[in-house]
Order: sequence, then structure tokens, then C-alpha cells
Amino acid sequence: MRSLISLQGLSIKTSSDGRSLTSDVNISLIEGEALGIVGESGSGKTLTALSILGLLPRGVEVASGEISFNGENLLSIDPERLREIRGKEISMVYQDPMTALNPVMTVGNQLLEVLDCHNHDVKDPESHVKQSLIEVGIPDPDRALKSYPHEFSGGMRQRVVIAMSLLLSPKLLIADEPTTALDVTIQRQILSLVSKQRSRRQMSMLWITHDLGVVANLVDRVAVMYAGRIVEVGTTKQIFNSPQHPYTQGLLASLPVASSHRKNRLASIPGVPPKPWLVGQSCSFADRCQFAQKSCRERLPLLDTRGTKSVACFYPIASSI
Amino acid sequence: MKRERTWINYYLQSTSGIVGAVLVLIMITLSLISAFSLAPHDPLEQNPMDALQGPSGTYWFGTDQFGRDIFSRSIDGMRRSLSVALLSVGLATLFGVTLGVVGGYLGRWIDNIVVRASDVIFAFPAILLALAIVNSLGNSWIDTSIAIAIVYTPIFIRVARGPVLSVKEMDYIKSARVLGYSSPRILGRHILPNVFAPVVVQVALSLSWAILTESGLSFLGLGTQPPDASLGLMVSEAQALAAFAWWSLAFPSIFITIVVIGLNLVGDGLRDALDPARRSTS
Amino acid sequence: MTLVIDNVIKKYPIRQSKSVVNALNGISLNISKGQTLGIVGESGCGKSTLARLIVGLESPTKGAITWRDNVLLRGSKNQWRNHLSPAQLVFQDPYSSLNPRQRIGECIKEVIVAHNLRQKEEIDSRVTELLKVVGMSEDMKNRYPHQLSGGQRQRVSIARALAAEPELLILDEPVSALDVSVRADVMNLLVDLRKEFGLTYLFISHDLSMVRHISDVIAVMYLGRVVELGTWDKVLDSPQHPYTKALIAAIPDHSQVGQMDLTVSLEGEVPSPTNIPSGCAFHVRCPIAVPSCSHTIPQLIPIKSSQSVACSEVVK
Repeated sequence: MRSLISLQGLSIKTSSDGRSLTSDVNISLIEGEALGIVGESGSGKTLTALSILGLLPRGVEVASGEISFNGENLLSIDPERLREIRGKEISMVYQDPMTALNPVMTVGNQLLEVLDCHNHDVKDPESHVKQSLIEVGIPDPDRALKSYPHEFSGGMRQRVVIAMSLLLSPKLLIADEPTTALDVTIQRQILSLVSKQRSRRQMSMLWITHDLGVVANLVDRVAVMYAGRIVEVGTTKQIFNSPQHPYTQGLLASLPVASSHRKNRLASIPGVPPKPWLVGQSCSFADRCQFAQKSCRERLPLLDTRGTKSVACFYPIASSI
Repeated sequence: MKRERTWINYYLQSTSGIVGAVLVLIMITLSLISAFSLAPHDPLEQNPMDALQGPSGTYWFGTDQFGRDIFSRSIDGMRRSLSVALLSVGLATLFGVTLGVVGGYLGRWIDNIVVRASDVIFAFPAILLALAIVNSLGNSWIDTSIAIAIVYTPIFIRVARGPVLSVKEMDYIKSARVLGYSSPRILGRHILPNVFAPVVVQVALSLSWAILTESGLSFLGLGTQPPDASLGLMVSEAQALAAFAWWSLAFPSIFITIVVIGLNLVGDGLRDALDPARRSTS
Repeated sequence: MTLVIDNVIKKYPIRQSKSVVNALNGISLNISKGQTLGIVGESGCGKSTLARLIVGLESPTKGAITWRDNVLLRGSKNQWRNHLSPAQLVFQDPYSSLNPRQRIGECIKEVIVAHNLRQKEEIDSRVTELLKVVGMSEDMKNRYPHQLSGGQRQRVSIARALAAEPELLILDEPVSALDVSVRADVMNLLVDLRKEFGLTYLFISHDLSMVRHISDVIAVMYLGRVVELGTWDKVLDSPQHPYTKALIAAIPDHSQVGQMDLTVSLEGEVPSPTNIPSGCAFHVRCPIAVPSCSHTIPQLIPIKSSQSVACSEVVK
């Protein structure tokens, strides 16, 4: 299977004072693969995703690194070429469907606009667009096409956004917490929909979330980010059943168990995640880590890869597999 | 603990703000000089023999057609203008902020009345309304102040009501109610501080408008009556003289201009200094 | 010694329109002292409205809420005086629930001063004590909310609620807005405080795992009614109502890795509270609905020793 996209040594910083927001992020995806990026606020997961399509907010820029997509470096290509790629080869879904849709344009027109912008040669754009709504499970698509975003519920809007992002059959779909704001039963519908579409189209997916439950059932591999760095990568089974990085382990241990036996206290990780730019050349998790030793505060652990597993830790927890 | 920079520090960083403050302070000082009768000449004293003389050592701004010292009259006029401005804006602030806060907080029919009433006043062009009120009340400086106060109250209602409406729905206000705080306590300690900044800025700006309005009124023959000195009145009287006695028109006009620009700069400076969006989080 | 919610109905009229938001359509619940009632439900179920009614931010349209037999929890009529309620509330959003201009110490002190809970000389030490109880040091007193993290702010909210010496604490999604690694700490704190002060909790959340962890009894709400009520293990491990079953099935479970079975547990959208389906509000989406479900509103009927369901089909 060939590599579809690969981020190498991606470091993002603030433009004004050069504060580091992410450091040395390495991520790669092969065709048809789904990778989940898990992390809390400040971990840098959203910025990493935004940087792929050149959508970093004002005041934030890429300091160094490379993003190879199909042989091209997305960070140095022609803006015109990047524009072509956006929506057509790589598309993105965000958390808030309301702001992703233009409130004064009908849904139908917004979908048609996508086709139009990319000069996509489609014989019958209207029925193509209608079909895309049917595929995402929107009832009464004829009426939906003529409706405005505010007439839809949150879940329906998110379906419209997904339809938009799939219109041109992109090779890679990036999703940034798209179900966090939705009710649980609606979230399940959306996850199911996305999963189906993904296998039908053999599409790659980059799914960013803080919700470990979603990740456990949706993606093939997981990358855990902490304070701007990747601290662990592995298959979903590896990460959940035998996490090696103390942070990953601590995170999983802090979740209440779903089984009938419930503990009185939840295992917690003391302290708060540090700001990425305040961490020096040492392990960013050391201050909160119960296994920390002297060397953890003196040197920076780099990602050590064995097979499908990578951990950035001098004393990883022995895997039980 | 890090020392918090107060809005005064921010204000002092703005050059235009400092310039404005200096201009205003100069005008205040001159007014005080007149208030304490320390002017070089009596503003009302006529010296027909020295009529229509240009600026000189004795008469710094020259004399008018009655031989009165234009400098002394100017600073006296400034004193009147500032007095009217302070009283009228003071009244407008008092009533406007109270009504705006009460209406905004209590809502429903009280708010409706407050908003409709202020809409009615807003509907009239300011000068015309002030004219009408002064006409019916009288020409003393207090009457003029009341007229201007009525005209400017709606602005303060609006400026005070806005923050109240937006803050009212915040969780910390709901918290205060759940904690059982009385409405006066919530208004005073949790809501009013948010009103302070926009109101202070509005005060500065309104002071400058009030001065212009007072000058306008006296220019039109209402408000201050001759022989009392008023900047607007002096400008009005100087129209006929301007061709051959430029000083009789120039200096009162310059005074008006300086104080209005000064107050506007102060208002802008305050707005920038008090705007929390400018501040960086620690 | 209990909180009694007696057939409470809450409607909000929509201006310039004939329609009405039916937020609560007949809720009856009891909580005994020291018990924790967990409330789960999705948007439109009315759980936040219920919280607001209990603490007196609003009054019910019909029905009554009493604490210890006192209909004390109606919206306080006299707004000109400080009035202390035995029910306090911790909000979801740690960023808007504290006055940004007030220092933490001031914020907590105000509760004590406004209600005269301590003598003047004891106030400062009481504030320190409250901060300590929620795991914060005394030097936090001089900080402003924006200098604190989300988890710390939530602790301050809890301390402030405790300062009012409540008997009933309503927790409306208290950890949902916090980072995952911080939630455990705050949940542990809530469990500790409950024990130490003998508090009664009403824990509202859409996160079933948190509700499971802390509740004795759970009520499942749907469009303004309670559809299932029972002890935590019965409701979550052997749910009876079709909605409860769908809700539990919809939760992506991190302990069942790679299950990959994302079959949809429940189709359709939640109807709007302005247009509630007739009869059993759930019948439109219900997999076991029969024709009679659309005209009779099912009552909450006990089917086992510690479980009640509002479903005519299940009760048979």
C-alpha cells in the first residue's frame, strides 16, 4: 500500500514571538487507512490538521518540516495547486456545522458551488448533488436542496457538511471533532455514516478528537499528542489494550469503567498539561509522570519505532501483548 | 503577584490621549482663573476708548466693540461652557445610566418604557430639541444645562443598557442569583462594573458635544444673554466685526475648537485604554 | 428530608407565535437526603430546565418542587433582599461562571458576607478553609479567574457553592467542558465532598460513564418526561425502555476496541420540544412501537424492585 500523506518534522509556532506550538510531528497515512489523533486542549492536534491544508489561523505559521502528499510538498507548492487540492483531493470537516455553512445560501447552491469551483465535469450536477444528500441519509433531498442551513438540526447540518466534503471523492478526509457538539445517538449515526462512506470509497481519514471512545471504534491507528508532540503511535488495539506511554496509560486509567464493577475513585493524572513553548529539551510529561526519573528532565525522548508501534519515552511501560 | 496594569497605565501610553488631557487641563485652569476673579480684566468692564484694538500687552486677545478684554471674556465664556457641560452631562449620566441599568436588568415593561421614551427623544434633532426646551424653561445656565441634559439622556440610557443586557445572561450572573444575592447587590457589584468603561468614554465625548451645543444655543440668542460672556455669543457678535477685527472672532473660536478636540482625544484615549480586548492575558 | 418534584410542567411561550416550548411535561422525582440522582438525556429532554427550576432561577408552570416539605424552591419573589437557598448549582462552563473582575477570594467571601454566615473575624479563615477543601492553596485568593485553568475554576465554583452551606448540590455537566485528564480529579473531589458534608447530589450529564460512576439512582429523560428510573446498575446494565437501550448502545465504548460495529442504534432526529409527538413522545422513533403508543401517554410504572419504566409495551 502506498503512502498517501506524510508529515515530517512538522513544527508550528506563533509568528509574532516564535513560541513553539507543535514540535517535530511525524505522521503518515497509507491509502485507505484511518488514523485518529488524540489529545487534550493545547496538544496541537487541531493546528497540525489545519496546517495540512494551509489553513493555519493568523499569527500562527509553520516553522519547519514537510508535508508530502502524493509526491508534492504541500508547504511549498503553488497556492493555485493547493486550492485545487482542497476539497478535491483533501477535504475537511469541522466541529461546528453552523459556521461551516453559509447562512444566506441554500444548501443546494453551496453544494453546486463546490462542483463549480473545481470545474468538475459532471453531466448532471443537480442530480449528482441530490445523490450526495441521499448518500448521507438526508430525508426529502429535493426539499433539503432548497433549504437554508438554519432550517436543519445540528446532526443534519453535519451530514450536509459531510456530503459537501465527499462530493469530489477526495482521497483524504480530515475531521476535527465533528461529533463533539452532537447528541450521542446522533453522533452514532454520523460515525456510522462516515465509516460506511470510508469503506465504500477506500478513503483515508484523519480523525481528530479528545474522545477516546470514538477513536477506539472508528480508526485503524492512533497517534497520541501531548504538549505539541507526538508521544505514542500504534494500532488501536495496541494503544487501548497495552499503552506504553505513561500519559496514554494515565488517560485511559482515568476514564470510568463501563463494566458493572465501579471503583470509588478514578485514577487521575495530577497537574495540568504544560504550554508547549514552556517545555525545554526534556520530556513534557515528566512533571506529572509517576515513573519519571532524572534523565526524563534532562533529555528529550524521541519517538522510538518498532514495527507498528512508536513511543517517545525513556522508560515505556512494558507491553503485555 | 504580578502588578496589574490599570487602565491609567494604558491611557498614558497614548500620545493623543495625553495631548487631549493637557488641552483640557489648560482650559480647566483658565476657567478656574476666571472663576476666582483672577482674570487680568473684568469681563464686563467697558472701556470705550480702547474699543476694537488688536492683541497687545494690556489686552492679550484684543478688545471688542465695547472695549472689553476679549481674553478675560473668553476665559469667562469657557467657564460658563464648562459649567453647563459638566452639569448637563452630570445630570444626563445620572438619569441615563440609572434608567438604562434598571430597564436593562428588570426587562419587560419597564425596559419597554425606558426604550420607547428614549426613542422619542432621539427622534428630535438635538439642537432643535434643546432650543425648544430652553425656550420654555428660561435662559439661565441651569435651564440650559437641563435642556442639554434631557437631550443627552437617551445616549446614556443606550450606552448603559447594552452591557447590562449582554452581561445579564452570563453564567456568573445566574450564579449570583442562585446564591441568593439581592438584585441591588448583583447590579452594584456584578453588573455596574461592566457599564463603567463605556459610560466613562461617553462622558468625555458628551462633554465636548455639550460645549458645542451650548455655544450653538448662545450663538442663536438663547442661553447666555448679553452682557454676560459666552463663547457662542462672542462668535455671534463678532460676525459683524470679523472683517476688521479678526481677533474678536478668532480667539473665541479657537477656544471652542481646542476644548472640543481635547475632549474628543480624551474620549478616544479612554476608549482604547478601557477596552479589555486590547489587553493581553497573563 | 427529601427533594420532591411533583408533576412539574414547564412551558415557554414563544413571542409572536402561537407555539410553545414544552420543556417539561410532567416530571415527578424524589431524592432522599444523601442520595445522588443522575439525570441523563439528550438535547431537548429538559434536564437543564429542571436544574434551573430546582434552584429557583425560574418557576414551574404547574406543579411544585419542595425541599423538606417547604415549597421554598420557587423563584424568590423578593429580589430586594439576600435570600439563601439550600440548593446550589455548579455550572458547566468554567469560563463564564465566575465574574472575571472579581478575585477568587472576594468571590467566595461574598457568599459568606451577603448571608451573614460567619462573624467578621472568622470570614478570612473560612475562605481559606473552603479553598483547602477543594484542594486549592490559600494564595489562590488573590488571583483572577483568567489566571486559573479550567479545572481550577471549576473547583472555585464548587467552593463557592459550598460556601452557601447547601444541602442539595445540582451539578449540571460539571466536567464536560474540562480536559479528559482533569475530569477524574474533579469527579474524585465531588465524591469526597459528598461523603464529608453529607450532600445530596443531582448530577446531570450526557456522559453516561460519569453518571454511572457517581449516581445511586438514574433517571432517563426524553422530551420532558422521565422514561426510565432505577438504581444505577439496573438502568445501565439491564435497561428496559427502548430509548435507554438505544442511548446505551450508541455510546462508543473505549473498552470494546476494534468492535467496528457502528450500526446505528437509533434513527431519526429528536423532535423539537415545540412539536412533541402525541401519546408516547418516543413512538416516532421506537423500534417496538404499536398503534396505541401514539395516543396514550405511558406512566412511569415500577416493573422490578428498583426500576420503573414509562412504556406500555415493556410493562405488559
